[in-house]
Formats: sequence, C-alpha cells, structure tokens
Amino acid sequence: MATTEPNLVDSIRARPGLTLVVAFGVLLLVDLVAKLAGISVGPLGGSLSTGRLGSNLWNGIVIGLVIGLAGIGLSMTYSILSFANFSHGDLVSTGAFTGWGIAFLIAAFGEQPIRALLSVRGAGNVSPGEIGAHVLSTPVAVLVGLVAAFVITAVVSLALDRTFYKPMRDRDGISLLIASIGVALVVRYVIQFVYGSSRRGVTATVDASNLVIPATGLSINAHQLTILVAAIGLMLAMHFMLQHTKLGTAMRAMADNKDLALVTGIPAERVVTATWILGGGLAGASGYLYVLLRGTIQFDFGWLLLLLMFAAVILGGIGSVYGAIAGGLVIGVVFTTSTIWIPSDFNEAAVFAVMIAVLLVRPEGIFGGVSTA
Amino acid sequence: MSTDESGNDPEVAGGSESPSDPEVAGGSESPSDPEVAEGSDAAGDVEAGRNHTTMGDAVLRIRGLNAGYGDLRILTDVDLDVTDGEYVTIVGPNGAGKSTVMKTVFGLTTHMDGTIEFDGEPIHGLAPERIIREGVGFVPQTDNVFPGLSVRENLEMGAYILDSVPEDRIEEIYDRFPILRERESQKAGTLSGGQRQMVAMGRALMLDPDLLLLDEPSAGLAPDLVTDMFDRIDRINDAGTAILMVEQNAKEALRRCDRGYVLVNGENRYTDRGEVLLGDEDVRQDFLGG
Repeated sequence: MATTEPNLVDSIRARPGLTLVVAFGVLLLVDLVAKLAGISVGPLGGSLSTGRLGSNLWNGIVIGLVIGLAGIGLSMTYSILSFANFSHGDLVSTGAFTGWGIAFLIAAFGEQPIRALLSVRGAGNVSPGEIGAHVLSTPVAVLVGLVAAFVITAVVSLALDRTFYKPMRDRDGISLLIASIGVALVVRYVIQFVYGSSRRGVTATVDASNLVIPATGLSINAHQLTILVAAIGLMLAMHFMLQHTKLGTAMRAMADNKDLALVTGIPAERVVTATWILGGGLAGASGYLYVLLRGTIQFDFGWLLLLLMFAAVILGGIGSVYGAIAGGLVIGVVFTTSTIWIPSDFNEAAVFAVMIAVLLVRPEGIFGGVSTA
Repeated sequence: MSTDESGNDPEVAGGSESPSDPEVAGGSESPSDPEVAEGSDAAGDVEAGRNHTTMGDAVLRIRGLNAGYGDLRILTDVDLDVTDGEYVTIVGPNGAGKSTVMKTVFGLTTHMDGTIEFDGEPIHGLAPERIIREGVGFVPQTDNVFPGLSVRENLEMGAYILDSVPEDRIEEIYDRFPILRERESQKAGTLSGGQRQMVAMGRALMLDPDLLLLDEPSAGLAPDLVTDMFDRIDRINDAGTAILMVEQNAKEALRRCDRGYVLVNGENRYTDRGEVLLGDEDVRQDFLGG
C-alpha cells in the first residue's frame, strides 16, 4: 500500500468500494453492540445475549478449523502443482466414508454385519444410536477412524495422482483443472455406488456430552472439543513439517519457484508425492471431523463443501497454507455469526460477500504473496 | 601475468588482426598460465573442426550444439570448451543465445543435435538433478533465490541431494559472504539485489561444483556493486572452480576472464583470450560500442 500519509478525503475518493465496505462493517459493529446492550434505535439494535454470540463464535471457529484443515491441501496443490483441484472436495468425502467405516467396525465389531459397518449404514433397522459411535463411549474407535481417514485418503489421493494427474504433469493449469472436475465426478459416483446415496446419521447421542462454561453460558460439545484438538494438532504438525524438515522446506521452495527448485536439484516428483499424501490426508481427516461435527453423512457433502473451501483459500491468499487456515476461520465465523442478522439459509451468501469485501481491500488475500510461508 | 602467451591463434572469423598487448586489460586475475594455454588449444580445436582430440583437463566440452525451445532453433553448431579451473565468458548482442547455451547445458531447453560432455561423460539429456551431482552449479539470471525461504534454508536447498546438511560448507559460504551470516534467518525475498545474488551464488556453491554457470550476475545491480560482484567471482575462480559466465557488461567480463566467446545469432563468431577480444577492432566495433 501507499507509504505516504494519505488524507482521509483523498483515500475515500480513491477507493469508494473500500469506503463502502468499511462503513457497512462499522454499521454492523454498532448494531452488534446495540443488540448486546439491548438498545433499539430505529432499524438498529434489538436484543442478543452474549451467550448466543459466544456460541455463534465458538461454532464458527470449529467449522472454520475443519474448512481450514481441508483447505490446506487445496492450497498446496495450487502452489506446488499449479492448478485448482476440483477433486479435493470428494477427497473430503472419501475420508469421511472410509474413516467412519473403520470407526463403525471397531465400535460395533461382532454386533453388526461387517459389510454394513464398513459401508457406514445400518443393516436393516440398525440406527447410528445402536452402533453407538461417540467420542465419549467409543473413543478408540473414533480416534482410529480419524487415523484411517487420513491414511486411506492419502493413498487414494496418491493413486488418483498416478492415474490421472501424473501423465498430465506438464500440462497447463486449465487442462488440469478440467481434468480434476472429471476426477471429482469419478470419485463422487464411486462413493455413491459403494456407500449409497442416502443421507444418514452417523454419530450417536450420549447424555451429558456438553460441557457448559458457567459464566458465559457457552456450551461446548465433546465432539467440538475433539475437532478443536485434532484440527489444531494436525495444523501444528503441518507447520512443523513445513518449517523444520528438509522435505517441508523443499515443498516451500517448490511453491516459491519451480524452475529454481529444478536447477537446485530438488527432486520435484518426491515433493509432488508428498504434497498429494499430505494434502489428501488432511482432506480426509477434515471430512471425517466434519461428520463428527454434523452427525450426518451423504455422498456429495465434500463437493458441496468445496465452494467454502475455495472461498477460504482465496480469502487467505491462494497458495498459502497459513492463509488457508486463516481464511477457514474467517469463513467459519462469518458463516455462523451472520445468522444474527440474516436467516441461516443465506449464510453462504454472507460468506461470499465477506470474501469479496476482503479481496477489495487486499486483492492478494490475507496471506497473499508469501506463498507457503 | 600471461605475457608469455605466444599462441594467439587467429580465430574462427579471422578478424583479429590487431595483436593487442594482453597487458592492456590490466590487473587480469587469471589463476594460472597453463590453463590459459589450454584454453587457446581448445580454441584451436574449434578451429580445426569437430575431431575429438582428447583434452586432458576439459571440464565442459560442447561440440556442434543445436538447441532451442520447442521447434524454435536458437543455437546453431555451437562449440565451446571450459577447461579445469578456467574462467570463460560468453558475450554478444541481445538475442544471440548466450543464456540458451547455459540452459542447454542444464537440460532446460530442447536439445536438437550435438554433444555436451562434462568430465568426458556426455550429459545432454540428463535430468538437472543428475547434472548437479556431476558437479555443475547454475545461477540463473533472475528469480534465483527462494524468496519465502530464509538465507540459510536457501543454502540448505543447494545441498538437497546430500543426506545431511553440510554445516562446514555453509560456514565456508558464510566466510566467503559474511553478510549472509548476519542475515541467516532473514527471508531471502527481503534482501537487496546484491545480497540476493550472494545467496544465489552461495546456493550454487553448496556442493563445491567443478563448474559454475553464471547467467548475467551483474544484471540489476547498482553500478558500485558490479565491481564487487566481479571481484567475488574472481575469488571463486581463484579457489579452483571453473566458471562459465554470460554477461551484458561485456568489457568488464572480457577484462576479467581467461577466455571469451562472442556469440552472434546463435553461432560462434569469435573466440580468444579476453584481452585479445577486447583489443580486437571488429569485436570492439560490433559488440563493445567502439
């Protein structure tokens, strides 16, 4: 941005869009304060309990972490392989189905037919409650399921690369993008074929699984807490890998400058393989966690989530891993807090409005221009 | 130094009538006379044609090289030699294919015909990673550092093919470029142009290459830094690393080098010791601005 001290009128004149966005943001903030204080002035204000605001923010952070976690892989494929991977959302679904299949298998082994358990559906009349998958009642099953989601999706992701993307390695970004839409369709309908198209419940309900923080009235669900810990743990592991290992440094180097990486002797294929394994694994884990949050699963939820992931990644600065996380959090929080003002049917619209607003101010995204740093 | 040179073979184009006192160049820092002599022999080879006369200490030997990008041919029958520890520079007008020679050595262009040998082994068609292992380092002209990586990480990447980070080598690089030690953990993208160039050279020197390819090392540097950069290159050469350099700053490059090639339209035009080329009327007229 400009280094000289701009005067206010000039800067308003120079960027009317920005001024409008800022003014609207201030208006919302004033309205929010008025609502919390219980003051009502004309169309402004109303009433809002701090508890509701708190739980909106908390839910937003949890959803944001899941979206951010999924977005890491999307951002990495963009910076290292130079294309927008539309099959990423279906990797999220892959992780959810395979992971929960394993979790069910462990949770109800011997009680239900293996085939029904692995395909994440009740055989006959069995409900998710009878399988009883919950982090409090079957913690081992839920955790092993998470690991399985990561590992299996990483393998699937690598297999997709070897089958579809590797033969196209030298092609341009648009060709790869279109190919990835095809891959997305293949994966999605294989999932539909194997697991069926019905939307179904997955997690069981367990009494007293909510932790209420007394002073605020904020209620924290055990599954939300699991997501918080798992997502932050995976993000920290990713951070450590990128900053403190040779492979991670090479990944950042390749994201920075592929041609230079080549003449430096960095083995591109090995870095690409690592990118698919890690990006795919994180996508799978986030899909698994998303189901833990929502409690339900359906074959195309990853595809539907992809739009939000792209929003997060673009908002954060496409190509940046940290941007994906930051963008995910912004998207998540906007997604839930927007219901203070608008019906929840429109919260995706709010997400994209905020994305556009942020890009008006910072066209390169929050972490833009620093690639994987 | 090098006054005892008697064999200034008239070159390819036969344009070097003026014998020109080598000392004109003044302060030439050629590492050792025998190498200069070898250089002239190599040039003689070029003259003689493409017979594979064995040269004891030829590091890089290019014969009849045709290369370009896709179907576009840039280089036509280029011959070029760099002997052990020699400092060779390629000059010529814009678009002459100077950088293409380097990129072709590194396997970054479309190789069409001819041979590139390094230490007697053909290297054309090898992946860049293999060429690095053979002992060639390359500093591209632009974007030659990883901006998001720290100075130290940039250097570490230069030794990626080794199993562990060679700490002693990093220390040697820091001794050569002390400012880099101070800036060790700073992102390379935040450095000045001159410092970036040091990072780029340091990275390329991490594996102690026998041959260093420098693509316009003075490009984009402030004038007062250019001399400093050339001095550093001299010292790298003095330490025994052969250098093949492409330079826009032709006069300075020819003054410093052992031997120079003038490339025009992707073909060899003149080859001789740097001082001889500098003194040559035709070369001066055509390429050095009189």
